[in-house]
Amino acid sequence: MKVRLSILLTGFLLAGSLPLLAHHSFAAEFDAGKAIRLTGALTKIEWTNPHTYFYIDVKEENGSVVKWGCEAGSPGALTRRGFKRGDIKLGDTIIVDGYRAKDGSRLIDARRVTLPDGRVVSGASAGDGGPGNQ
Amino acid sequence: MKNLFLLSVAIWAFSTAALAQDNPLTVVDVKSANPKPTPRTADGHPDLSGYWKGTRDTVPGGNIGKDLPGLKLPLTPAGEAALKHNLTATIDPESLCIIGGIPRHNASGLPFEILQGAKKVAFLYWYSYFRLIPIDAARKHSDDPDPSFFGEEIGHWEGDTLVIDSIGFKDEKVWIDENANPHSDALHVVERWTRPDADHIHVETLIEDPKFYTKSFKYSRTWVLGKPDEELQEYSCSENNVDKDHLGFGPGPIRPDGTRGYIDPAPLPPPIQKSPGK
Repeated sequence: MKVRLSILLTGFLLAGSLPLLAHHSFAAEFDAGKAIRLTGALTKIEWTNPHTYFYIDVKEENGSVVKWGCEAGSPGALTRRGFKRGDIKLGDTIIVDGYRAKDGSRLIDARRVTLPDGRVVSGASAGDGGPGNQ
Repeated sequence: MKNLFLLSVAIWAFSTAALAQDNPLTVVDVKSANPKPTPRTADGHPDLSGYWKGTRDTVPGGNIGKDLPGLKLPLTPAGEAALKHNLTATIDPESLCIIGGIPRHNASGLPFEILQGAKKVAFLYWYSYFRLIPIDAARKHSDDPDPSFFGEEIGHWEGDTLVIDSIGFKDEKVWIDENANPHSDALHVVERWTRPDADHIHVETLIEDPKFYTKSFKYSRTWVLGKPDEELQEYSCSENNVDKDHLGFGPGPIRPDGTRGYIDPAPLPPPIQKSPGK
């Protein structure tokens, strides 16, 4: 497990050296000044192109539940990093670190995903020019 | 400090493992002392067929001015106005699942595939787009070709070089590269493709657009042959394009190194050290 975690973390760090590949520029959609961490239960998984989406219910401090969407790289990009569709299922709790959409909607760019088994995976769209992925 | 050193060693150690396990979309071009000879078709021409991957030293990626001093494109006043329009009033056409066209695809970091026949060559792209180019030295351009994203393309051989001459481009919903630089319907592109050895393919692209650029300029690029089992996969761009309702205009700030992106971002929260719930 430790080795696998290290490889995944390394892949995340290496992403910084990759050239531009992405479907769209990070900055066209997300605000690099608005970092956020979300912890929530998966309610919907879209393992689709051009991006995968994870929809989670996040419990607020006042007890209310807010629905968030998390945009990650394409299925192919996640698979190459060792994150497979079968690694998650509805109801699982995931932790997503990312940046909020510029338009204020409850959508974030999932730069880093902590999976139910503890693995930390880059969720970034490769080469989109976003933080940690020049 | 000791922990930092150990972390650095771990990163170095696992870098090789991570790269070895992965099939990255781009590669480091390791030159061979004894390169394998260029494969040829039955009629003796170089065979450009293969799955081609960009190299990590192609920088800045996605910038059509890569080979120009200071990355400075020779824009006319109309070109400057078109660039401003693209930056402030247009969403990246590719992100809306519109064909990127040529020369943008030549500046992309994504792999592509070539299938070559005797009279036609097919270029297949990551987003499931393709272009089919007739190879016919006798063919001339149409008087008034229908505008298209790849243009009206005609190929012919000049020795071992496949020359593709293209006119008849669209002038709306097009960016000439990832950085929202413009081109007009006066665009004329001449690509000169060669395969110097089995593992490399190279293009020299001449770009002329007298409406938007004061002079022609070139964009050159080399790709490396992918592994035998690598090929393009299905990619349905409009399958679930949630983005389209959230994207703003332009590519965002262009950094001093000539790539699009953000400058000085806020840091993410520190990574979780323990697995949740355990």
